[in-house]
Amino acid sequence: MKLINRFWWILVLAFIALYPPTFGGMSPYRCGVLIFVGIYVILAVSLDLLMGFAGQISVGHAAFFAIGAYVSGILTAKYSAPPALAMMTGMALSAAVAWGVGRPVLALKEYYLAMATLALNEIVVTLIVGLQWLTGGASGLRDVPSFSLFGFTFDNQIHYYYLVWAIVLLVVASSLLLTRSPFGRTLIAIHSDETAAKTFGIDCAGYKIRVYVLSAVFASVAGSLFAHYMGFLAPDDFSVMTSINVLVMLYLGGIGTIYGPALGALFLKLLPEITVRLQDYEMLMNGVILILILVFMPKGLFGILTEIRSRLVTRGAR
Amino acid sequence: MSAPPQSTAREEQPMGAAQEALLTVDGVSKSFEGVHALIDVSFQIKAGHIKALIGPNGAGKTTLLNVINGLLLPDEGTVSLRGHELTRMKTEQIAMLGVSRTFQLVRLFTVNDATVLDNVLLGAHKRINPTILGTLFLRSRSGHKERVMREKAMEALSFVGMDWAADRVPTALSFGNQRLVELARSLMAEPELLLLDEPASGLNDAEVEQFLQLLMAVRARGVTILLVEHNMNLVMRLSDDIVVLDFGKRLAEGDPASICANPAVIEAYLGSECAIGGGSG
Repeated sequence: MKLINRFWWILVLAFIALYPPTFGGMSPYRCGVLIFVGIYVILAVSLDLLMGFAGQISVGHAAFFAIGAYVSGILTAKYSAPPALAMMTGMALSAAVAWGVGRPVLALKEYYLAMATLALNEIVVTLIVGLQWLTGGASGLRDVPSFSLFGFTFDNQIHYYYLVWAIVLLVVASSLLLTRSPFGRTLIAIHSDETAAKTFGIDCAGYKIRVYVLSAVFASVAGSLFAHYMGFLAPDDFSVMTSINVLVMLYLGGIGTIYGPALGALFLKLLPEITVRLQDYEMLMNGVILILILVFMPKGLFGILTEIRSRLVTRGAR
Repeated sequence: MSAPPQSTAREEQPMGAAQEALLTVDGVSKSFEGVHALIDVSFQIKAGHIKALIGPNGAGKTTLLNVINGLLLPDEGTVSLRGHELTRMKTEQIAMLGVSRTFQLVRLFTVNDATVLDNVLLGAHKRINPTILGTLFLRSRSGHKERVMREKAMEALSFVGMDWAADRVPTALSFGNQRLVELARSLMAEPELLLLDEPASGLNDAEVEQFLQLLMAVRARGVTILLVEHNMNLVMRLSDDIVVLDFGKRLAEGDPASICANPAVIEAYLGSECAIGGGSG
């Protein structure tokens, strides 16, 4: 079993490393699509930590995506701050907001929690639109410079491709480490039954906050990458629709598995690339495909893959 | 997590019997929207003893367990463990002090295909206390701790005879087996005081007998037990003494023989005198 895992990991790593010169054909467009996929993988995986493991619903994950993007955008475009420093400032602000908001909000359950997180998303978007002198308001924030690190400037699609995917791997690997450790087990206990968890000394409120902060920090990093790659930010990219899209990725790929949401992000971002040829029927096809998957594959795309694998393994064992 | 309040000598504990009391319930009352679930209930449990809490349905037994482990705040009265007052502490803090429990309807962790072993390992949470940074950056240390805990969890599972089910999901087990897993999980917390809420309900005679033997072995390890139970065979054979609740009030307290012969208890709950120590009561 472990061997199979390692085999798949090497295959995926090799594909990611070799994509631009091979399938990507060094084409800015094809690499660009995968940059968006990578950014959304970070968002989906970070939300999976909160929802799939700790069991806390969030319909406002784009709030932290926005904070990361705008802190990076404003500090680098208006105040010429070094991008890495701006990114870290975004992470710190996202962590602070998550910590401050989390205490009261994570005490809520289910629909109430969903409404409160949705409200947070709305508040952040409203602030972005309202603080026009700082954020550019509804007309957007222009001229965000390229990301740079130690004097190296990421100024083309290929550079960004490797930057984003390096961070994706970091986020996915640390999320896997966390969820397959006693820490992840503790989150699952909180998700299952908070009352029973408390009777074993689990500080449920404390663990929920910690996961919320971590998940916000990851989303913030995705926002910073987005800001530098796009060079232009508009409030629409961070609306509740974005949060809901990330939620769909979770359920599409298979919530609570880390791999699943990553697959969900890949699928949902690539689907329009395939159905775009259908022109007028594009949206219709997207909708139909989503409904089919959600109805017939309750464990998502990753659930299907593990099912196929376990069948192959049992057949091989005979 | 704040440290338990040290026993400030504001009121000298009476010497003698009270000195060895592990748990003291003193004048506890609790009502829900005008319904009196507990009225001025007091008793003590001596360290190393098994105390049974019996009474008709609705007498307030589970409410009392919930007050003891902090899931409910009493309206009046106090609960203290070795002189530390638990009354205003949170459930998780009380757990840290060594109080563990099982539930009337088994409450195992089942999300994300958590296994039986995961459940038992979670019993040891207070000794593992995992953190994000520790998990990511102190891998060898947390890995070593995890291996030690896995061994202990397997021992706890063997102790209840469930080691064969370590990798299964709890929902795939029979109800009786789930009860055993829940007991193993509580023992993994290495409790000083174990609260058991109707551990024999839903078990067949053979399973009850197995449970009884297990609880005797648990007591032999020095664990103090408060047992809420309707199965009088189990109660009479296991307990050192018994508290009877009726309509939220303490009706009687004493050793099994005196409770058995107490006319008020027979009237309110037992129906007839019971056989003590006899095979299948």
